[in-house]
Amino acid sequence: MTTVTNIGKPLRICGLTKTYETRTGERVEALGPISVEVERGEFLVVVGPTGCGKSTLLQILAGFLEPTDGKALVDGQPITGPSLDRSMVFQNYALFPWLSVLDNVKFGLRRRSIPRRLQHEIALRQLMLVGLLDFADKNIDELSGGMKQRVAIARAFAVDPSVMLMDEPFGALDALTRRFLQRELLHIWREQQRTVVFITHSVSEAIFLADRILVMSARPGRIKAEWRVEAPHPRDVTTDPLRRLENQIYALLDEELAEAFAWERHIGG
Amino acid sequence: MSVASPPTARRASERGWFAGTARVRPFLYAAVVMLVVWQIVVMITRPDPSVLPPPIDVALTFGHLLRDGELGLDTAYSLGRVLCAWLFSAIVAIPLGLLMGNSRSLEKTINPFVELLRPISPLAWIPMAILWFGIGELGKVFVVFIGTFFPILLSTIGGVKEVDPVLLHAGQVFGCTSRISLFRRVVVPAAMPSIFVGLRVAFGTGWAAIIAAELVAAHTGLGYLIANGMDILRADQVLVGMIAIGVLGFLFDSFFRYLQGRYVRTAR
Repeated sequence: MTTVTNIGKPLRICGLTKTYETRTGERVEALGPISVEVERGEFLVVVGPTGCGKSTLLQILAGFLEPTDGKALVDGQPITGPSLDRSMVFQNYALFPWLSVLDNVKFGLRRRSIPRRLQHEIALRQLMLVGLLDFADKNIDELSGGMKQRVAIARAFAVDPSVMLMDEPFGALDALTRRFLQRELLHIWREQQRTVVFITHSVSEAIFLADRILVMSARPGRIKAEWRVEAPHPRDVTTDPLRRLENQIYALLDEELAEAFAWERHIGG
Repeated sequence: MSVASPPTARRASERGWFAGTARVRPFLYAAVVMLVVWQIVVMITRPDPSVLPPPIDVALTFGHLLRDGELGLDTAYSLGRVLCAWLFSAIVAIPLGLLMGNSRSLEKTINPFVELLRPISPLAWIPMAILWFGIGELGKVFVVFIGTFFPILLSTIGGVKEVDPVLLHAGQVFGCTSRISLFRRVVVPAAMPSIFVGLRVAFGTGWAAIIAAELVAAHTGLGYLIANGMDILRADQVLVGMIAIGVLGFLFDSFFRYLQGRYVRTAR
């Protein structure tokens, strides 16, 4: 039996900032300070204009980057580096092309002390959840973009993480595939109840998926606004309240983009 | 040589055997054109056969050398030397390249040597090889080693350095916590396509180098066959050797491409 052994853990982000130093020694504030609490099993979606530091935030949560200041805690424990407990789905899939579909899904499982038989079962189950059981022995280069991202989702959930980090996972996909995968993701999330931090620049995607939406400001990225979406799943984003929410978020983002462009013009001039 | 990826192979089979030769046809066409031009030149200028024999003479000599086993033996000698040196190069250059690609300081230490030695053609090493090792097997293997070493080394270093950083992140997220496991599980397999290209290119340069080495110092091998043909004024023998060198070089490269298409998985 493959039982869900883990449940989502809460995330706590406290006064997090990230400052880069350019080659000329100039300091660029990319992020923050931001503070946010993510509940156990919550689906948090972060929306923001390009360059608002949302990817930086995710890299810090994944453990790839050290924050300049502030703290990021998972269940009270500080993040010290990448971990199987914080799984990730990348924008460009980041699958291993030299491995088969099944071996990609097993990649993380192999690093855990789980009997091989069970690894195999877990991987097959995850592939079944994303509807790719028949593709287990295929090579990655034989798959379409949407199928690749489904493999990546299966790989990410297979390691039984308590936090799932998703960096614009559907950004490179066509609208129909995207819609389909959003539904699949919700289905898996509701079954496995992990804490999700999902980054996107699609407002409708945010509204369709999120328990809570954070809108970030441009340079340095700060939390500009926050909404809780109470509507039950599956959501119809064309209903009036959700349409109104979409318009509100767009209005905020337009403001931010205008500022960002003004800033770029200032830098350019 | 079939280097077909699955979809093209399917299309080819749908159109029958003629379509199946699609990949070979351009090369057959080039070969036929060269033969025809050769024949025309011979018919117009009527050169002395010791300078340029007609194609038919060369074909006869080819049959003769093949039947008495000399061509096979010379090929085996040349190929044996190349294989030996190429394998030795791979054994040294791949691990060294993997380490150099992975460590900035090691690369900085060793790269200046590589960059200074690399422009010296393997052919320029032939005299030193003879002085050091005589005209035995070791000298020739040494020359080919020089010729095969740098392509393998450079493509291995390149392969390691060009691994998509996102794959490294994925490796880290999915449990490769130490540098060593990340290297073994992600960096090395991700660099394989580039290493393979290096091995293929190196085999080509090795094949060129062995002929040169045998021209200068050997009593066997295809290089010797053409050098000997020159000494005894047998242009037909020289041409047989040249054709054998060309066809074999082409076949080896096609074979490597076939392996590459079949077994090497690249990203995207």
